[in-house]
Amino acid sequence: MQMGDVAAPDLISDLPQSIIEIIFTHLPIRDAVRTSILSTKWRYRWATLTELVFDGTCVTLCNDRALVEKSIVNFITGALFLHQGPIHKFQLSTTYLQCCPDIDQWLLFLSRNDIKELILELGEGEWFRVPSCLFNCKKLTRLELHRCEFDPPPNFKGFSSLRSLNLHQVLVAPEAIETLISSCPVLESLSLTYSDSLDLNINAPNLKYLFLEGEFKDVCLENTPLLVEISVAMYMTDDIAEHFEQSSSCNFIKFLGGVPLLNKLVGYIYFTKYLSIGDDPGRLPITYSQLKIIELHQVSFEDMKEIMVVIRLITNSPNLTELKVSGSSNSLAATEEEYDLDVWEKECPSDCSFNHLKFVKMTDIAGVPHEMELIKFMLKNSPVLETMSITPCVFLKDRKLSMLIELVKFRRASDQAEIVFVQN
Amino acid sequence: MSELNMAVIKPEMMKSYIWIETADGSLQQVEQEVAMFCPFICHEVIQKGMGSSKNHAISLPQRVNPAMLSLMLDYCRFHQVPGHSNKERKSFDEKFIRMDTKRLCELTSAADSLQLKPLVDLTSRALARIIEGKTPEEIREIFHLPDDLTEVFGACANYLLRNFFIFYDCNIDSVVQEEKLEPLKNITDDPRIRLLNRLYAKKRKELKERERIKNVEAEEERVDDRSVDDLLSFINGEDSKGIKTSKNKKKNRRKKDQQKNTSPSEVIEINEQESNGLKGSDLGETSEKQDVTDEMFASKPEFDDGDVDDEIDPALKEKIDREVEDFARRLNSDWPERMQEILSLGQDMKALHHSSNGNGTIRKYTDPEQK
Repeated sequence: MQMGDVAAPDLISDLPQSIIEIIFTHLPIRDAVRTSILSTKWRYRWATLTELVFDGTCVTLCNDRALVEKSIVNFITGALFLHQGPIHKFQLSTTYLQCCPDIDQWLLFLSRNDIKELILELGEGEWFRVPSCLFNCKKLTRLELHRCEFDPPPNFKGFSSLRSLNLHQVLVAPEAIETLISSCPVLESLSLTYSDSLDLNINAPNLKYLFLEGEFKDVCLENTPLLVEISVAMYMTDDIAEHFEQSSSCNFIKFLGGVPLLNKLVGYIYFTKYLSIGDDPGRLPITYSQLKIIELHQVSFEDMKEIMVVIRLITNSPNLTELKVSGSSNSLAATEEEYDLDVWEKECPSDCSFNHLKFVKMTDIAGVPHEMELIKFMLKNSPVLETMSITPCVFLKDRKLSMLIELVKFRRASDQAEIVFVQN
Repeated sequence: MSELNMAVIKPEMMKSYIWIETADGSLQQVEQEVAMFCPFICHEVIQKGMGSSKNHAISLPQRVNPAMLSLMLDYCRFHQVPGHSNKERKSFDEKFIRMDTKRLCELTSAADSLQLKPLVDLTSRALARIIEGKTPEEIREIFHLPDDLTEVFGACANYLLRNFFIFYDCNIDSVVQEEKLEPLKNITDDPRIRLLNRLYAKKRKELKERERIKNVEAEEERVDDRSVDDLLSFINGEDSKGIKTSKNKKKNRRKKDQQKNTSPSEVIEINEQESNGLKGSDLGETSEKQDVTDEMFASKPEFDDGDVDDEIDPALKEKIDREVEDFARRLNSDWPERMQEILSLGQDMKALHHSSNGNGTIRKYTDPEQK
């Protein structure tokens, strides 16, 4: 066994610590910690890592769940004890830990070590109740919690440096979330998923990215002038639907009334329906001059109010580059109704032109009259359109031909436009 | 490239060049727009006005030799062109970093000194991929790292480090510094732990013998310069006699080390209590190790595991010896995977298959230069 072999010099130990840290951040923590037994120089190199990510790969898994849990706890506690210096990022993502007292200890330790990014993704079962020391982490810039109970103390003043907040399946009182959001002045990205039945007024002057998914009673973007991207997947339960029927305030304005810088809007499931509730806003005073991408899924083209939402949105987005719409109509019920097809003439300005729109994708199309009107409208008013992609819905067998015949008749403003009819 | 060539300027290629000098003194001219992709060079040109002539060539830091400079310029030349798609860039990067480890390390170092962050990230990722999932022996061989832990801490402690650290989450420090050679708590009554405990028993006996022979030479125990091979041959050569002796030792137990005020039988618990204190301790403080040979413990059941043998019939004893041999030979192969095997197959040792890697790794351990 030779030391300091001249013939084969050590290739890596003399790299600066900053590079070794970069290498470590690309290694699972287990491999990083193992480097401590490479040689005497490597004993504690891993110990100054500022980012610690713990997941199921830290320990050897086996069938005995209790043993795995104990191993993970021992590993993390051991690593934290040996660690030196500040810890800026701590991530714990494992289903083996749920409500475990050691997590409280670790959070206490982290709160004393300038923690900036904290991510806790725990298992199902009993949800972990976040301890009060979390609210003392003054330097927190990013907080992500999955399956936890979150209860800020009454005198909590907010996280003054928090930029990103992500709460997924978190049990928290609605007022607490509202207060939390408004007390984080530099919040830029907010994601709330499956925190059910929320009634929210969002007051976040610096907010740029908003992701919502779940059952929301009511969402009002009260003060979000800098919003750039919105993505909403709204589920509806019966009592929420009832709640909406009684309301007369205009959801469209409440949600999209104050976002002049909006660049991308994505809506799933009942989002369009949600926007359609309340009085029709009429010709909008706002123009979404930055709105480039609109994606609306599961739009019911048999509901006049939803159609109006689509019309209002599109006609106020002159700089649109990409439009994706998917329908959710039941074509079998179609033939009985009378359709007010004039609405397209009446409500759309005659000079409406999408001078930047290049790509339109329509999916789950049943051939319902208003769907066809939308396609006709887009083809007629998009002078630089390159692709119009249409995918009929699955159960449309015999109507395909008549749909195609109709499509072929439509006028196209763009001589570059290709209509792509997608077969399954 | 002489300055004479520079005088003949083709109208369609009005590129400007800057002068660069590498640490070995050689000068070269490089297209300005390519070189400026490196923040270091950019800074030199803009803030200090360097590079415009041979006399004012930009001197590069020492870690950048001409070969590395050439590689980095290839990288810059591709990436500074705005037209490439992300897919093209990714594809270029993947091909670009295919090189031997030595060059990869040099390139990382060079890119870092020129502050070329995207290249540093790329090479660091590549190095991380090389390290990930490999055993310490493999990593040492690839990067030519000296295995000086054994020299300092002894072979047995090194076994423990290599094979048990992650699974039992032992605190390395307490294990290494004390070289307890104490039986591990066998929570799952796992046959390998039993075997390791027997291995320990043998090692303890052997160390005790050596001490007796050399009288009181405390420094001797500082460094265990027996290689793994020696240890194994000792084990292989040893027969039932060794086991009997260990049982006799049991009667002569005494606790020597006063520093440890906790019950020494459970390595895991000690780790958690003492790890704080040991965290900052110097690698050189191995004085505790002289006490190792007299280190005894209170946990009877574990020790009995290794010592009950002399009451069994010789045939069974032989079988146990063979198992210990097998075990020691396989110790160097990757522990966690084997652990998983054992736990899922139950306690049937025979179901385990020999891995030829085990032997190979041992050879590597003794002479890392041999391929």
